[in-house]
Amino acid sequence: MISFREQSMKPYNRREKSQTDLVFNIQHYSLHDGSGIRTIIFLKGCPLRCRWCCNPESQNPNRELFYSADKCIGQRECAQCALICSESAISFAEDSSKASISFSSCSNCLRCAMGCPSKALTIQGESYSVAELADLVERDSIFFQSGNGGLTVSGGEPLSHIDFLEALLAETQDRYIDTAIETCGCAPYESLRRAAEHLDQILFDIKSMDSQKHKEYTGQGNEQIVENFLRLCEEFPDLPKKVRTPVIPGFNDTAEEIDAIRKFLQGKPRVTYEPLRYHSFGRGKYAALGRTYPMGDASLSEERFREIIDAGG
Amino acid sequence: MSLIYSPQEKRIQEEIAHNNVVAFGSSNRPLQILRSIREAKPQIDIERGLYFTQSFRETEGQPLNLRWAKALMHYAKNTTVYIDDNQLLVGRSGKQGRYGILYPELDGNIYGEVLSKISTRSNSPFDISPEEIRIVSEEISPYWVGKTFHENFAKSLTEDTTKLTYNNDAELTSRYIVNETASFRSSLQWVHDYEIVMEKGFRGIKEEAEQRLAELDEYSPIDYTEKKPFLEATILTCDAIVLWANRHADLAEKLAAQETNEKRKAELLKIAENCRYVPENPPRTFYEAMQAQWFTQMFSRIEQKTGTIISNGRMDQYLYPFYKKDIEAGLITDAEVQELFECMWVAMAQFIDLYLSETGGAFNEGYAHWEAVTIGGQTKNGQDATNELTYILLKSKREFPLNYPDLAARVHARSPKRYLYQIAETVKAGEGFPKLLNDEDIIPLLLSKGATFEEAYDYSVSGCAECRMPNRDTYTSPNAYINFAAALEMVIYNGRMKKYGDELLGLETGNFEDFQSFDEILDAYLKQARNFIKHAFIQQHEIIRLRAQHFASPLGSALHKLCRNTYTDLHQPKIEGGIDLGYFEYMGFATVIDSLSAIKKVVFEDQTITLAQLKEALEHNFEGYERIRQLMRNAPAYGNDDPYTDELGKLLDRDGQEFSQKYGNQLGVHMDLRIVPFTSHVPFGKVVSATPNGRYAYIPLSDGSSASQGADRNGPTAILLSNYATKNYDRIEHAGRLINIKLSPSCVKGREGTEKLVQFIEAWRDLKLWHIQFNVLNTETLREAQKHPEQYRNLLVRIAGYSAYFTELTKDLQDDLISRTEHEAV
Repeated sequence: MISFREQSMKPYNRREKSQTDLVFNIQHYSLHDGSGIRTIIFLKGCPLRCRWCCNPESQNPNRELFYSADKCIGQRECAQCALICSESAISFAEDSSKASISFSSCSNCLRCAMGCPSKALTIQGESYSVAELADLVERDSIFFQSGNGGLTVSGGEPLSHIDFLEALLAETQDRYIDTAIETCGCAPYESLRRAAEHLDQILFDIKSMDSQKHKEYTGQGNEQIVENFLRLCEEFPDLPKKVRTPVIPGFNDTAEEIDAIRKFLQGKPRVTYEPLRYHSFGRGKYAALGRTYPMGDASLSEERFREIIDAGG
Repeated sequence: MSLIYSPQEKRIQEEIAHNNVVAFGSSNRPLQILRSIREAKPQIDIERGLYFTQSFRETEGQPLNLRWAKALMHYAKNTTVYIDDNQLLVGRSGKQGRYGILYPELDGNIYGEVLSKISTRSNSPFDISPEEIRIVSEEISPYWVGKTFHENFAKSLTEDTTKLTYNNDAELTSRYIVNETASFRSSLQWVHDYEIVMEKGFRGIKEEAEQRLAELDEYSPIDYTEKKPFLEATILTCDAIVLWANRHADLAEKLAAQETNEKRKAELLKIAENCRYVPENPPRTFYEAMQAQWFTQMFSRIEQKTGTIISNGRMDQYLYPFYKKDIEAGLITDAEVQELFECMWVAMAQFIDLYLSETGGAFNEGYAHWEAVTIGGQTKNGQDATNELTYILLKSKREFPLNYPDLAARVHARSPKRYLYQIAETVKAGEGFPKLLNDEDIIPLLLSKGATFEEAYDYSVSGCAECRMPNRDTYTSPNAYINFAAALEMVIYNGRMKKYGDELLGLETGNFEDFQSFDEILDAYLKQARNFIKHAFIQQHEIIRLRAQHFASPLGSALHKLCRNTYTDLHQPKIEGGIDLGYFEYMGFATVIDSLSAIKKVVFEDQTITLAQLKEALEHNFEGYERIRQLMRNAPAYGNDDPYTDELGKLLDRDGQEFSQKYGNQLGVHMDLRIVPFTSHVPFGKVVSATPNGRYAYIPLSDGSSASQGADRNGPTAILLSNYATKNYDRIEHAGRLINIKLSPSCVKGREGTEKLVQFIEAWRDLKLWHIQFNVLNTETLREAQKHPEQYRNLLVRIAGYSAYFTELTKDLQDDLISRTEHEAV
């Protein structure tokens, strides 16, 4: 563990401040993702494909089209997008006044979104430089003062953007702002280490101790994640770590699953644990991206969730 | 139209529904009283109007303050006195149950006609008997024709000002453009110096006046014409309130003699003893102090209609010595103290701020009133002021969440954590109360207006978001509410408004289509806006002059050190040594900013549409022009910490203040720009047609200094930052800004929620913003949002690891969230 003094003295290339990355959301006044009141920056791109992912626009590392049909004001009022589209991917059914998008024909030129007056068509993924983001975060700094609030970088997977992330965290810490990331842990350990050197706290997802199942539901096994977490505990024992598990129906919604994670965490330094109840609020976003929601109608009642998490230690 | 309601608005809704209380947990007595008053329809009590009228018939030609004192004495002698079952505090200014009283000196000329209409209305909001209507129509109303302030003020205005003020009808209804508020209340929201009642009693005040009377120079014309009537009015008023109190003592003794329940008999005898002793003498106990304060504020309500009812001042300060003494002597317990407070709250809830005129009613829909109780803050010498009573008052608000009183917590840099946490807990439990006022913004401003540190540290919250320094503030003239969205409309229609047809109301600033740049439009807007402020100040000039001829306040003057020392009635234009804090209300702040910034962005920068196209869309209320509406409403909007809009907001604020510095000061008073309107953004919106920010015609304007409905998409921190960015901290011609923050229950859930609410409050304090109040959303609001997504675009739903706009979720997910919220709220 490098002390704060050493960290801030450690030189980093100033040019790094001008590097850019794609952000799909900036959320102010976040209360549940780290200490205090925080500003969250969501970077685009993730190695996992969790079936329950509530932010599917976070997965693809490129800009993409997002269509909120309820905001479309319809053919009679506008139809600008259909005129713009060179691929004939946008049409208006005769019986429907709202646009219908054929994502398979879309070339992702995104010009339709630029011409949409009602923001029914938007572009997910906006380019920001490190300096721009740090400035935006600093604007909120008065809210960070009394409760150790600060910046949380989320995703997507922030570690997939390690050069950018490292520069952003370093720049933020240089401005005396608390830093956190929210990670799925699926990245080379070196990336995690580089980030951790600039972190005041970390939110780490551990979804299941069963690698087979993990692969089936997220696209990747859990070996690297588990290994990363162990090394993190070893090399950064003083870093506060909040481990979270989304409790997902059909995947890990048993007391045994949650218990296994709790056992794994036992004795690890500066770890707190929080299981989170499954919700399907991201469902509408799949349709907006022209995709199908993988979880269907699955649900998890509050009572069942309590049973599962209360059963274990 | 559906909106998310602030606690104050919610209160009004509940008042309208006659269902203003949910109570639990506290002493049984206030609850029983509450149940007894809930069901019955409010009544109009005519005694105040009648006895004042009778007395005024007899005293024509005499000095006005003396006439007022005589009217108070006539009332005190003749009015019915009541003692309510179960009550520990006595003193009503009208019938039992919920009641409102008449102030015919304001607009009594219209009472006869209004009441005759009301009596035939099928669903009348209040009860009045045919005999009472006869008395009003035959004995009260006719006397006041030609004498009311409303009539005489209207006559004093020139045509230019009149057409921005009134419709051309017999009742002089408001145009809601440059709206005067002096016709339906005789004073600004006010706070008395209750301390003098505690220290000297009315006997002490009377004795001082008698001594001064004896010392007058009998040959001096000034002493004879000015000082003598003032002192006689003071003495008579002191006698009147003491007589009134003693009549309650008589009644209590009589009732005690008949009472069979020994416990109640003892209570009645105690009440009789209290009323014999206070407010004539300085109270000896906490109980007597409460009774003295209550008599004082009730008699003040009889004297005149004060703003939104007379406020209570710093109750945790002036009552503390009595509390401390009684607790140490073992005379009272905290539970009994709380019960006495709640007996007062439930008595307050029975008084209705009655308006018979249409405009007054529109301002205070549902007869809501705001008799603020101030807690916390700093002592006169700048130390933290919180004490045990502060915490009892907060506890009472949690356990007995009645809408009354309006609890106002002063916050400063050294407010203890315990206080801030208890405020946050109370916000969570108390439907958004208390509201908070910021010493760190207010005190420097009061100092800049000439107050001493001692006076500034000791300010009281008064009404909605105003502040008073008792014994130093001297300005009582009610002020103009200016509809700046109408100024914007006049830029579009060259001095005219769609609502009022072809009539030229404002300035002809040119054809909208012909403006060549945004700067030209901004310039035209500022011209229209300055013209409005000019006419507001013309109104004010006449109001200041005429009020002195129509109103007097011998009680208010007796409770004001400067009035006593200069022998000047509180309603006189100038009181030596006073600080005169008037204001004008900036209505539609965000509506104007957003409209201007949308024009700048869409028309001049992006050049997506022309001004002619925009005007065409506005003329059609966007019907058939939805594309244009979407373009405009998606332009940058105030409330998002966006410099694009906030720099514009700051410029508007600054321009208003600079105008005021130059011309307001010519009136000899401060005319401060204020952004506070509580519910009046609704009636003012009803005259403004479609605006360039995509707002449809005749729906509400933006509220206070909040963002336009649904335009704030970056959460509550951004609203505070936009407020900060649009304030001109280097100027002193401003007063309060009101901020309503909506929070979902998940934001304040549990201990962590409390902590983060405290952190938010601390940031608000450090940003030096004036006022804040919170509205914790309930499932009902979420259901409303489902039905009217347009108004709730900004409603963020926060769940760990995920955040979304509620209105963008599908129906079944919204339902799921509503059920989760119900769960969380338990």
